[in-house]
Amino acid sequence: MTFESVRLEVNGVVYERVVEPRRTLCDFIREDLELTGTHIGCEHGVCGSCTVLLEGEPVRSCLLFAVQVPGASITTIEGLTGPGGALGPLQQAMWDNHGFQCGFCTPGFLTTITALLREGDVSEETLREELSGNLCRCTGYQSIIQGVLDAARASGPDTETSR
Amino acid sequence: MRRFVGESARRVEDPRILTGRGRYVDDVRLTGMLHATFLRSAYPHARVGGIDVEAARQLPGVVAVFTGAEIAPVTKPIQIGTNVPGFTCPEFWPLATDRVRFVGDPVAIVVAENRYVAEDACDLIDVEYEPLDPVVSFETAQDPGLPPLFEDVGENVIYRVENSYGDVDSVFASAHTVIRETFHQSRQANVPMETRGAVADYNPASRELTFHASTQNTHGWRFQLANYLDQPLERVRVLCGDVGGGFGLKLALSREDLTLAAASRIIGRPIKWIEDRNEHLLASGHAREERMEVEAAVSADGLLVGLRARMLLDQGAYPSIPTASAIYLHVIRDLLPGPYRMQALAFEGACVVTNKASMVAYRGPWEIETWVRERLIDLIARELDLDRIDVRRRNLVDGAPEDRSITGSGLDGISSRQCLDLALEKIGYAQLVRDKAAARETGRLLGIGIATYIEFAPGWREWRSQFSEAASARIEPNGHLVVYTGQGPTGQGHETTLAQIAADALGVPLDHVRVVHGDTSITPLNLAGTGGSRAGTWASGSVMMATKRVREKALAVASAMLEIDAADLDIVDGMVTPRGVPSEPTPLAQVANTAYLAQRTLPADVDPHLAATETFTAEGISGSGWSGGTHVCLVEVDLETGGVRILRYLVAEDAGQIINPAIVDGQIRGGVAQGIAGVLYERAAYDADGQFLAGTFMDYLLPTASEIPFIEIVHYEGPPPGEGVEFRGVGEGGAIVAPAVVTSAIEDALGHLGVRVTEQYLPPGRILELAGVVAVGG
Amino acid sequence: MKPAPFDYHAPTSVDEATELLAKLADDAKVIAGGQSLVPLLSLRLVRVDHLIDLNRIEALAGITEGEQVEIGACSRHGVVESSPFVRSQIPLVSDALSFVGHRAIRNRGTIGGSIAHADPAAELPAALLALDGSVMVRNTAGEREIQASDLFTGFLSTSLEPDEILTHVRFPRWDEGTGWSVQEFARRSGDFALAGVMTVLGLGADGKIAKARVALFGVASAAVRAEAAEELLVGELPSAELWSEAAERVAAGIDPPSDLHGSSAYRRQLAKALVRRSLQESATRLGAA
Repeated sequence: MTFESVRLEVNGVVYERVVEPRRTLCDFIREDLELTGTHIGCEHGVCGSCTVLLEGEPVRSCLLFAVQVPGASITTIEGLTGPGGALGPLQQAMWDNHGFQCGFCTPGFLTTITALLREGDVSEETLREELSGNLCRCTGYQSIIQGVLDAARASGPDTETSR
Repeated sequence: MRRFVGESARRVEDPRILTGRGRYVDDVRLTGMLHATFLRSAYPHARVGGIDVEAARQLPGVVAVFTGAEIAPVTKPIQIGTNVPGFTCPEFWPLATDRVRFVGDPVAIVVAENRYVAEDACDLIDVEYEPLDPVVSFETAQDPGLPPLFEDVGENVIYRVENSYGDVDSVFASAHTVIRETFHQSRQANVPMETRGAVADYNPASRELTFHASTQNTHGWRFQLANYLDQPLERVRVLCGDVGGGFGLKLALSREDLTLAAASRIIGRPIKWIEDRNEHLLASGHAREERMEVEAAVSADGLLVGLRARMLLDQGAYPSIPTASAIYLHVIRDLLPGPYRMQALAFEGACVVTNKASMVAYRGPWEIETWVRERLIDLIARELDLDRIDVRRRNLVDGAPEDRSITGSGLDGISSRQCLDLALEKIGYAQLVRDKAAARETGRLLGIGIATYIEFAPGWREWRSQFSEAASARIEPNGHLVVYTGQGPTGQGHETTLAQIAADALGVPLDHVRVVHGDTSITPLNLAGTGGSRAGTWASGSVMMATKRVREKALAVASAMLEIDAADLDIVDGMVTPRGVPSEPTPLAQVANTAYLAQRTLPADVDPHLAATETFTAEGISGSGWSGGTHVCLVEVDLETGGVRILRYLVAEDAGQIINPAIVDGQIRGGVAQGIAGVLYERAAYDADGQFLAGTFMDYLLPTASEIPFIEIVHYEGPPPGEGVEFRGVGEGGAIVAPAVVTSAIEDALGHLGVRVTEQYLPPGRILELAGVVAVGG
Repeated sequence: MKPAPFDYHAPTSVDEATELLAKLADDAKVIAGGQSLVPLLSLRLVRVDHLIDLNRIEALAGITEGEQVEIGACSRHGVVESSPFVRSQIPLVSDALSFVGHRAIRNRGTIGGSIAHADPAAELPAALLALDGSVMVRNTAGEREIQASDLFTGFLSTSLEPDEILTHVRFPRWDEGTGWSVQEFARRSGDFALAGVMTVLGLGADGKIAKARVALFGVASAAVRAEAAEELLVGELPSAELWSEAAERVAAGIDPPSDLHGSSAYRRQLAKALVRRSLQESATRLGAA
């Protein structure tokens, strides 16, 4: 059993840990950093619950080993929240629209949507396709779509979520 | 006073869910906690010889490895349904002992420092299997010549039931037509986004078991854990935080849960097990694998006068705890006539065991009754060249006081007719028909589907009188309210809806109410848990009663403080307000403070402890007790690819009084999505040798946002509510009726080809086979 | 679902990578995007003693413009998909990439990885065939070029030697006026195709088809070109009847697999429909009828 040293930045905080190379990034985040907001839904890249932002881009943390991304800057759902638990505009819009039910898929959706909204305009048609990489079993997706459209309207194209 | 009930109040649960601060069972960390994984059988059926775990035990990081032989002595054998006459339950153990009976059957548990090492250890375990012929097809499982899967049962049919209502022979003898069909559903799975998992924490010093669960039924699980581990009930505590969905799956205490608890008791340390998705698809349980052969006696004008139904249910190998599959047959039988005026029913049903994963409850486990019945209505219309809607109208009861199903269900007050009319009006049915015809001209194949259903939520008068539910409430010294419920929410928003109920019942702001669930040591006993669309009524009613009781107590204290009759006092927005007399309102906080801290200032007959536990019985319920409605959809079928697109989907639903419209609509849409998926995407498939084929999300296909259409919902507003609680459940309806409406639409699209849809699972290839575009079995 | 243990290596040059691969041989696998490999490792369907991570090798990422469009093997799908240069030069590749999984997968998955993995239902191998592309591969002995037609040998198999690393993917530049189309049908958005077709058409001065490529995926053990159909098309005038005839020819020449998601007969029918639609769409882009 070999171990490697890993140093990376999550939600603006630099962490250094020693882990096995086979430690997935999602297990690293949840177990080694104790940031349990990121969820594990399938461990084969389909459900999207584990999606985090790597250098701002959504990736499946279950398909990355922590040792693969030294020095990377990662954002998890905890990083989308303001100080004292203040909700960002996206989170607020999802709250207003009853976006989610059981909440298990939520972290993956919010990171994915955060990246989407940063890119510009969204419409219902493109949204459904863009969000097809995140599975939800509870909502039938309509409330999520509604929340995102609301967030897009409220924020405008230039707004960043609070950090 | 209604301030919050009826509003789409934002959910109490959301701030934590939206910020990653939910508390799911995998977020539980305990000092000294270990991690478990299960070694599972790769054979569908085999004798188990030796199990060599030595190499596994020696692996650094492994704390213990237990096989069935080591777990069995610390548990009782599992046997369920012993109170169901005629149900022969085999005796089995948490871990397989001498036989494995499905691919995924747990054979050993490895406990280690982390899951990675535990899985490494599993690789080192050597099991001697002697493969046996598997029984895979539930239809051939009935063959008495086949060796029984369970020797103590002696055959593979573990339950048979036969019932007759009305004069079946006479009705068939005088029928204008008899339609015969066999209907097949395919195996599906609940697949919540959070798999199963638990942390079992046995403390040898206190001899207490604390079980951190992902469950819909904390009290039920406590009862079962105490029973099977021979552990005193008062030393079992089940805790449950947030649950990532259940849909019925997490009503069942699993063999893995029992094994985990047993292992924790043996080694005296907390152990966590989180199921991975492959295990989940393989072993957590499946549903819907049922077949119904029917003969329908039909009158010349399309009345479904009588039905002979023979049903077969595949319950997999091991019965799941605690509900015997037999029960589902009873419910299916009782609901089969639905809201229609059938005069006679002969029902035969059987449950068979097969070498497959267990049947578990899945959102409306009796769904086949709606699917078959609605298919039949369409087929009757087609056969007699009548309009489908006319046939439905002719068959529907009115909901008059004397209306009762042939199986005994009281149907007074149901609104099936009204919902049907509402659905057709809101979707613009006449225009849909024109659109369909116009599309045909351009070579596009559209189809319109219609289906009507009812679900008992909480059921008609006699049915619901069997049940009750308790809740507790306490006004805190700061005048805020805590409510304790034995419900087990998995996304339904009970912390919000029950707070809305309580806030209105007491007269305080919504954020002065906290709903507590998920801890058996402080919530009232509720062995039913959450499921069966019962929370809407039972939890609401019990919370309302408990809150009203503490309100009375508070007003008794206020009355003594203010020297005003309690009957002349109101509580509005957290302030005790005298009626009629102009005077300063008194904060409820002050009343509560006085009660708890200045008891000496109150008369002796005033109870200063502002808490109560009340049992809500069916007397407190008014209304029909049925939710239901009509769903209509428009699909387009592509006869080159077999692709089916749902262009429109409308729900007209009667859910009685609604606590939180947004939450209700969310439940409906989620259920519809699952029902759609059962037709177009999901099949928990086994091959002929009993190997499971859908062990990942590449093969078990959950619908994405691209596959689920925009779902329009209109709510039927019935007569004004009665005196009692009329918040009816809606959790299951969408899943129960959506397969019927989608298959109805597909059949309508292919009607000109003479296609009759009698199977529920219709992937693109099957659509083209039915349409004659592709050869069957090619 | 956790992988079995392995040692990890992160070379920073191609030479270092090929030396490692030569030394560790059968006990090692290279990883680029990992979107296909990591699930296999997690399910323990694949076990390695050594994982050689190519992601630190800067020379392997990037798009260069030369006589051909050359894309570094470790270029991410998402980067190539959104490259204006690729869209202007070989739009079929941009389009094909939009069908690959979902955004998060495309942010890590690589062009080279997808081609080397050679899933029979994947888009990129078919795109390579349709565009007469090639790959550059390297080992400690040197480098060589493998033409698309020689690359895909069977189910998840390529003609790469075990010690060779795919370094670049090459697509020839198109002639102006080339028509193209990507058509696929999957159970759900982002899934592997049940069947898929990529076509490329070029017209001669006489208005007849001078060049035709018909590449299929999901209908065999690897991506394939329907050469018989291509022969049928060349020298003919574009027409709806021609597309249907070509589609029939394709259907007759394939023997697709049956699996959980579709029977052989269904895939055959699907391929036929998609070929017709694809040729129709290619022709539209040509400006022909």
